[in-house]
Formats: sequence, structure tokens, C-alpha cells
Amino acid sequence: VAPITYIDAINRTLHEEMARDETTFLIGEDTGIYGGVFKATRGLLEAFGPERIIDSPISESLIAGMTVGAAMVGCRPLPEIQFADFISPAFDQIVQQLARYHWRTNGTYAMPVTIRCPWGGGVGGGVFHSQSNEAWFMNVPGLVMVAPSTVRDAAGLLRAAIRSDDPVLYWEHKKLYRSIKDELPEGEEVVTEIGRAHVAREGSDVTAITFGYLLHETLKAAEKLSGDGIEVEVIDLRTLLPLDTPTILESVAKTGKAVVVHEAPKVGGIGGEIAAILAEECFWELDAPVKRLTGFNTSFPAAKSMEDLYMPGVDEIADALRTTAET
Amino acid sequence: MAEKKTQKKTEKKRKAATAEVVTEAAGESQETGGTTGEGAAPAGEAKESFQALQRRREETALDVSRGFPDKYRLSGEMEGCSDARKIELLERLIRTRTFDARMRRLFRQGRFEGTFYSQIGQEACDVVIAIQLEKADFVGPSHRDLGASVGKGVPLEALATQVYNRVDSPDGGRYTACHYWHPEFWVMQPSTSIMMNWIAATGAAFGFKMLKKKSVAVAFGGDGATAHGDFHEGCNFAGVHRLPIVYVIQNNLWAESLPLSLTTALQDLSHRADAYDFPGLTVDGNDVVAVWNATRKALARARGGEGPTLIEMKTYRWFGHSDIDPADYRSEDEVEDWIERDPLPRYVGWLKENDVLDDGELDAIQQRVREEVERAVEFAESSPRPEPDAFLSEVFVHEYPGFDIRAGR
Repeated sequence: VAPITYIDAINRTLHEEMARDETTFLIGEDTGIYGGVFKATRGLLEAFGPERIIDSPISESLIAGMTVGAAMVGCRPLPEIQFADFISPAFDQIVQQLARYHWRTNGTYAMPVTIRCPWGGGVGGGVFHSQSNEAWFMNVPGLVMVAPSTVRDAAGLLRAAIRSDDPVLYWEHKKLYRSIKDELPEGEEVVTEIGRAHVAREGSDVTAITFGYLLHETLKAAEKLSGDGIEVEVIDLRTLLPLDTPTILESVAKTGKAVVVHEAPKVGGIGGEIAAILAEECFWELDAPVKRLTGFNTSFPAAKSMEDLYMPGVDEIADALRTTAET
Repeated sequence: MAEKKTQKKTEKKRKAATAEVVTEAAGESQETGGTTGEGAAPAGEAKESFQALQRRREETALDVSRGFPDKYRLSGEMEGCSDARKIELLERLIRTRTFDARMRRLFRQGRFEGTFYSQIGQEACDVVIAIQLEKADFVGPSHRDLGASVGKGVPLEALATQVYNRVDSPDGGRYTACHYWHPEFWVMQPSTSIMMNWIAATGAAFGFKMLKKKSVAVAFGGDGATAHGDFHEGCNFAGVHRLPIVYVIQNNLWAESLPLSLTTALQDLSHRADAYDFPGLTVDGNDVVAVWNATRKALARARGGEGPTLIEMKTYRWFGHSDIDPADYRSEDEVEDWIERDPLPRYVGWLKENDVLDDGELDAIQQRVREEVERAVEFAESSPRPEPDAFLSEVFVHEYPGFDIRAGR
């Protein structure tokens, strides 16, 4: 089997799931004729026609908000926000309407909506094309967030999200689109369970908790430390909301030490939530302070030299893990 | 914590005591004022007259066979509407108004929490289009659209329990009072955040088209809502895709306290439709005959696959934005003028002129509706209050290993 890229996995899964379920439709900016600015949706218009593949006007509030009515009358909408950075005009619709509608209606309506959001830095995109803004949504009740880090999960989490009856923000990392490949036999219906983190590497000395592109940098750092006798357990979160607390606690109870690595600024980030969970639930098992290695508390810079500093790198991650492990 | 609680209790007592004095003066022994002080009417003498005025206007509203200036006489014919349908429409209009006036009274008596958004004066804008809809047609109302539910046939019990936040409410008392909805009748739950229903109804219309269903959608908004970006995003998309939807703007001249002149430089909001290349028309929203004919045509267009229509209905809400708003930003002359244009007496007059209705039948309708409203109120008052923890469910459809709804406590 020829290996395929992360973006191929997304594209293939969209094709498969849209063929499987005639109530699905895709709406986004430049998603039809153009096949998406990243080509994630290429070929869909030809396969499913303009009734189900909608080239939306530049109206993010509509893209997100129209799904609520469409879902109520029997559709399974697949909106795309062209860059996660452009999600702010849709924020009201997602946060106040889509995420809460099931609760508000006392469980009468499900909202089977998957919003795909290309996110993340390392692509030279500047502030409007590089952000990790998942933390904006962390305390929204009723919302699910997944962030695949591998080709297999890109397919598996997307399929699970599309088939889920809860609204899901699906964060696809732009730097992973064409930088990783894996074998994914055609016709194999990979499903990754939502809500479960994955232990991507086992270790006994310190737990690294991360997701997205930085999973790969963290795994490299772990390999580096292994040579020095430090064994890092690496958790790939996969689902950001609701966090898989049991898996995190189990690992940290074993290693006694934790480092959270993410691209978003530190303040109010997912790392803070994880650190708080560890402090509340796992305090007596901790042998070192929980460390957060994150982006800076600034906006995301454009110049390559600045971007390289902004993104936590292998050496920095290794240093943070070593320091914590040796505490 | 304990100290705070005591303080609150004392405050409550003090408020209750003040209210008692005021209501005694007003001769309304049962009416104890609102549950919140925000925007409340001034105390003492002024409040007495304010409350008396409110009561007088409610009584005026319920007197649907009263006279009105000749210039407001309705003319023309309701196209494709049988006499029986005309009477049914009248009954739904009266049902909406009677329920509304009753709820206002009950709110002042402190029988339910929160507030109440009276629609009195605007009923024709909702009821006349809603009665024409099929059950599977989709309605996206705003928080003031009682008539959309009543017009579509939602039982008053469901609406009263919604106002009272009781377990028999469609949302079991967990959402927000006066935000009427009903799943069986495809009236969606309105959002308090303006215009979300507009976008959602647009999405429903898209869904109908995509799934090749024959149904249509109707969205309601106010004059103030036309300033919101979602007004544009919804209309624009519906125009591009020729969606089966009717957009209704109830222009009641005031967006809470904001006059129309500060919402828009436009006089007639229907001009906005030009920007989306679908028909826009302005009608007298208090003229049942005109509203019927305009909406009938718009619904036929939507059902025939010809696309959206925007209808501006000029109308007026007699009372405040909510029942804790004395609406003292408007002149009494303006209110009185619009009371003369009340849609109900005008419609009643027209029905009588055309020998569709006589006094006996009108009395019978009013009697029937009053009883129906009382039954709904009794039902709501006897419906249990929800268990305190009844909101701790339905956050997600599925279960997740890390999700603990009570994690913070």
C-alpha cells in the first residue's frame, strides 16, 4: 500500500463519508470549484455536485450558524472554516447556538456538525494564518474538539466526528498536511474513538502531553533523551474537549512528572487546564512541578526567524523534559 | 456566605414591603411588581398611574370590537381564504392577545420569574403567516413571537409552562422564559442573541432544498435586527441559492430603546431586499388583509422554488421591550396613535362589514379563548417546578471518559 499524506487522509475520508451518507453537505470558502485553499476538498464538487458542495460567500457566521437549522431538518453538515484564525465571526453561532442547542432543547435536537479548522504555526503564515486558538473554546459546554496528529487519526477522528451526533471542531494542522505520510489501505474504515487520548510512546520517567505538529517534535525529543537514559511517556491528546482525564492521570500517576507542550500562548491555554487537573487529582503522586512549554504570550510572528523562536523546538522540548525528569 | 444570604433575604423582604405599599395605593392587592428592579417604574404616585395605565391599555387591547378612525378601515379581499379560515385566524389572533395580556397580569402578580416580552399590537405580523404554514414548515422566531407559535397551532399549555419554567415546558424549564418553541410544530427555539434564528432558518431552508423536501422556512426579526451582520449573511446566502424562505421584519419603530432613525437611515426596510435580488415589500403590519395577501404570495413563491421574499411589516408594540421596561423613551401621543391602528378591531370591523362575523360569534370566540387561557394557566401553575439538578444532563449526546458534568462541585 502506497503511503498517503495527512491531507490525503482528510480528503479521502470526506469522499467516503459523503458517499456513505446522503444527508451530508460541505460548506466553506473556496471549497468547491477551487477544491479548498489547501486542496483538502478537491474532487468533492465533481463527485457530489453543487447541491452538496457549497462554495460559501465570505460569511463565517452563516457557515457555522446555518448548520443548526440544516441539522434540525435532517442534514449532517460539514462546514469548513478556511483558516482557524477566521473562526471569530462564527464564534457567536458556535458558542451560543450550535454547542448549546442540544442542552437548551432538553435533548430534543442533536447537532451532528463537524467544523473543520486548519490551524497551527510553522507555515510562514503570519498572525492570521498560524494561530492555535483552540483555547477560545475550552469552556464551552456541549462542544467537542479533536486534533489529529497522525495520518491514521486524521482519517479516524474525521470519520468519528462526521458520524458523531455532537458538534465537533476538528482541528487539522496545516504543517502536517504534507509533511507526514502513512499507509492507510483504501476502503479500511478507520475510526478513532473520540474522547480517548493515545499513549504514543511509553516511558517511566516523565509524561509529555501534547497534540498536533508538536507531537512529532516531542517524540523526537523523547528519542533524544532515551539515549541519555530518560524514558519519556508521550500522550497524544487527540481529543482536546472533553479531555481524556483518566489517561492523563494514569500516566502521571506512573511517572510522577508532567510537561505539557502546545503552540498556543501559555495564559489560559489547555496546558493550564491539564496542570490544574493534575494539581487537583494527582497532587500526591507528583514528584516535580508541572511544566508548561508553550507559545509566547504574544501574537504569532511572521518572519521565519521569529516564527522559529515562537514554535517550541525539539531541543527546547528535550530541555524541559530533562529538567522536569531530573527534578 | 451565610452573611450574604441573610443580607439578600433582608433585601428581598424590604422590596416586598415596598411593593405592598405601592400596590395597595394602586388598588391592586395581588400585583406585587416585577421580580427584578432593572428599568422599573418610579415609586409612589408616578408608579400608581403607570400601573393603572398599563391595566387600562390591556383592557383596551382585549376590547377587540371597539371603534377606530375611519382612515384605518380595511379594504380588499383575502385571496384564497375561506370564511371559516378567516374566523379561525381571528380566533388565533384573539388567543395570542388574550394569553399575552393574561401573562402580563400574572407577571405583575409575581407568579413567575424572569420577565415577559409582550407582543400586544404586533400579533398580525406573526399569526397571519403562521396559520398558512404546513406543520413541517420551519419557523425561526425571535423572543417576541408568541403569535408565531399560537398561529401555527402550538397548544397554550406548552407556551404557559414555557413562561413559567415548569417541567412540562418543551425545555423542561431549563432554557429561558418567553422563548416559545415546539419541536412537533417545527417552531425552533429562539436565541436571546439577536438574529441567530434568522441564520438557522436560512439553514433549514437550505436543508429543505438539498433534501428535496417541499417545506419552506419563515424567519422573524425586528427593525433593530436588520442592523446585525447576520441579517445580511442570511439574506445574501438565501438570494444566491434561491432558498425557500420568507423573511419577515416587524418594524415596530423601536429596538428596545433605540429609535429606528438610529438603527438605519432607511425609512422602508424592504429596500434591503434589492441588495439580494429578491422581492422586498412593505405592508401595514396591522392590516390583516394586506398581511395575508403579501405573505400568501411570498409563501407560494418559496414553495414554488422561486426563492426568498423579504416583507417589512410596519407595526408597534404597545408595551415595553419586556415587562420591566416602562418604555418611557416613547411619547404617549405616539403610543395612543398606534393603539388606534390596532390590527384586531380593524380586522373584526372588516369581518363584520363583510358579514363573515357577528357579535354572537365574536362573544363565543372570546369566551372560548378565555377559558382556554385559564386552563393553560392552571396547567402551568400545577406543573411541577423542575428538580434543582434537572439541568445536569444533555450537554452531549454521547458519553466521554473525561467528561464529568459535576466536576466543579
